[in-house]
Amino acid sequence: MSATAADLLAHAAAGDDARAFVLLAELSEALAVSLDLRRTLPFALQRIADYMEAEAASLFLLDEDAGVLECKVCIGPVDLRGLRLASDQGIVGRSLTDKSVIIVADAEQDPRVYKRVDERTGFITRSLVCVPLTTAKGTLGVLELINKRNGDPFDAIDAGILRLLAAPTAMAISNARLANELVEQQRLKREFDLARRLQKLLLPKRRRAGFPLLAVNLPAHEISGDFYDYFDLPDGRIGFVIGDVAGKGLDAALLMTRAASLLRWAGKDGLPPGAWLRRANEELCQTTHGGRFVCAAVGYYTRTSGEVVMAGAGFPPALLYQTGLCTEYRSDGPPLGIVVGQEFHEVRLRLGDGALYFFSDGATDVRKGDGRLGQDGMRALIERYAGAAPEARLRMMVSELRQLRLVDDTTLLLLEETHARPPVVLLQQSFPAEAERLRGMRAELRRVLDSAGVPADLRDRLVLAVDEACCNIIRHAYAGGSGDIVLSLHRDGDVLEFELRDDAPGVDPERVTPRDLAECRAGGLGVNFIDALMDGWRLQPRAGGVGNVLRMWKRCPAAEETA
Amino acid sequence: MNGIVSERHGDLQLIKLEGEVDLSWSGRVRDAILAALDNASVGVDLGQVSYIDSSGIAALVEGLQTARDSGRRFVLLATSAPVLAVLELARLDRVFTLLPDLAAARAAEAG
Repeated sequence: MSATAADLLAHAAAGDDARAFVLLAELSEALAVSLDLRRTLPFALQRIADYMEAEAASLFLLDEDAGVLECKVCIGPVDLRGLRLASDQGIVGRSLTDKSVIIVADAEQDPRVYKRVDERTGFITRSLVCVPLTTAKGTLGVLELINKRNGDPFDAIDAGILRLLAAPTAMAISNARLANELVEQQRLKREFDLARRLQKLLLPKRRRAGFPLLAVNLPAHEISGDFYDYFDLPDGRIGFVIGDVAGKGLDAALLMTRAASLLRWAGKDGLPPGAWLRRANEELCQTTHGGRFVCAAVGYYTRTSGEVVMAGAGFPPALLYQTGLCTEYRSDGPPLGIVVGQEFHEVRLRLGDGALYFFSDGATDVRKGDGRLGQDGMRALIERYAGAAPEARLRMMVSELRQLRLVDDTTLLLLEETHARPPVVLLQQSFPAEAERLRGMRAELRRVLDSAGVPADLRDRLVLAVDEACCNIIRHAYAGGSGDIVLSLHRDGDVLEFELRDDAPGVDPERVTPRDLAECRAGGLGVNFIDALMDGWRLQPRAGGVGNVLRMWKRCPAAEETA
Repeated sequence: MNGIVSERHGDLQLIKLEGEVDLSWSGRVRDAILAALDNASVGVDLGQVSYIDSSGIAALVEGLQTARDSGRRFVLLATSAPVLAVLELARLDRVFTLLPDLAAARAAEAG
């Protein structure tokens, strides 16, 4: 039976010397100050062997993946470094698996002892003691002493002292490993940051207002397998690409950079979309392995004719929203990078005043409750925001997707002919969220809407909707607290966009719903009014948990167009 | 500016509102209507109201419900165009009794 630590300390203190304490202190210090195990472990083992008056000592560490104990440090006449034992082999293995201290007084007679080393080297093992190197995270390895110099076998006191000395050794190994993991993590993070920056550089810059393509990429993880691109051709056509690499992580990201540059290169040659994908497929087949592949849609838009010609490779169908209807455009070529010699059929359509949406399957895979958003969910999303101006629309769609759960990279590309005029700020004002301020707000809003040429009856309805929204912010968001409301009004093409920002606690948008009008009761009418008066609205909590943004929009052609 | 005038005309308490009925004083409008309904039927004159929001509408709805429960009449008089537009929006224009003026209200009360 092994003695308790207290017994041992008492023994050492009462014994002929107190060197055990000195050694323990010395070891703890040496092991604590350095993370360089190659230097500290041989030193520690030598000191332990000297103190214990052992002929040889060795330290085995467990390679968990391989299930093998390997001798890492060794003191004595035979160099065992590199010796590998199955993790349940010999006394060393048993000490590890049983997490126990084992003393062998007569090694020659003990069948559990691993004898191969003695047979090979001529060294004679008479007695040995093994203790496991244990930490909170498990057993890391085993410390073994062989043969006392005076010829006696090891006893329980020796075993106890060795167990005491093993503790700082195990802790030092554990700390050094943690430190290494940390360094490795930091190196990986630096590489990922670099990869993410490089990927961002690959995406095209946002063009000035009036350019008909808008895109947004939401990576689900640090780096994305999705990409998009658009570029002008000398003949006036605009080329566009949206793509999605199967898989995640660094190698998907590397394939993405390759696919993105290949597709841009082929597209800039002005090849018809079918031939464009065919060329990219031939190239990608030569270099894509391991079950990876690339889904993409590519095409050209000619502004003068309003014609779109496009082709797809394993990409979800494009949706054209036009005069209140969503039409699906399927192009069912296979994904790129799998089989050479594939054909990709072209699809033609006339954009007119419609909006053509492409979205990677990350969008339809977005988790909604128990299910996924799906193609129908995307249609509903498109229809819900159809009235908003393109920039705001994409922003709100993205924001809604973010509130659901992204499981994959998600990319949206929107092709829509916009008015050349950039959005105009008609009003921006901040006022305290108090009922007494509403009259002034309404007067100012009426004035601005009048000068924007909004007809009087529409003006009054818009003022009512904004007033109702402010009332709700005062009563329900601030709910007695104080703060400001920032009202802004933009015109973006034919659309008037109202935005109300507050700094109140975040409101759950799900709980703001219109009530049943058939039910005649006081209160709760405000949301109905907003619903009825605006073409659409959306309430979103601001990032960070404080504040809300309410956006409302109404189609109202500018005065000079209606005149 | 905003104003509330309450006058007695025979069996009818007339409440004349003026200005913009919004969140800042719809509470007082509600109180005036409910107080008047304690003693009599009520007519609310909206001829001089240039704006009303949902909280103002709510005060009128509450008046109508209270009157119904206590067996009194509750009518709206001289409803201005802006008020009518909001009543229509809330689909309440056919729930309320809308009369052109005080004479019509008193005639209805007498009849």
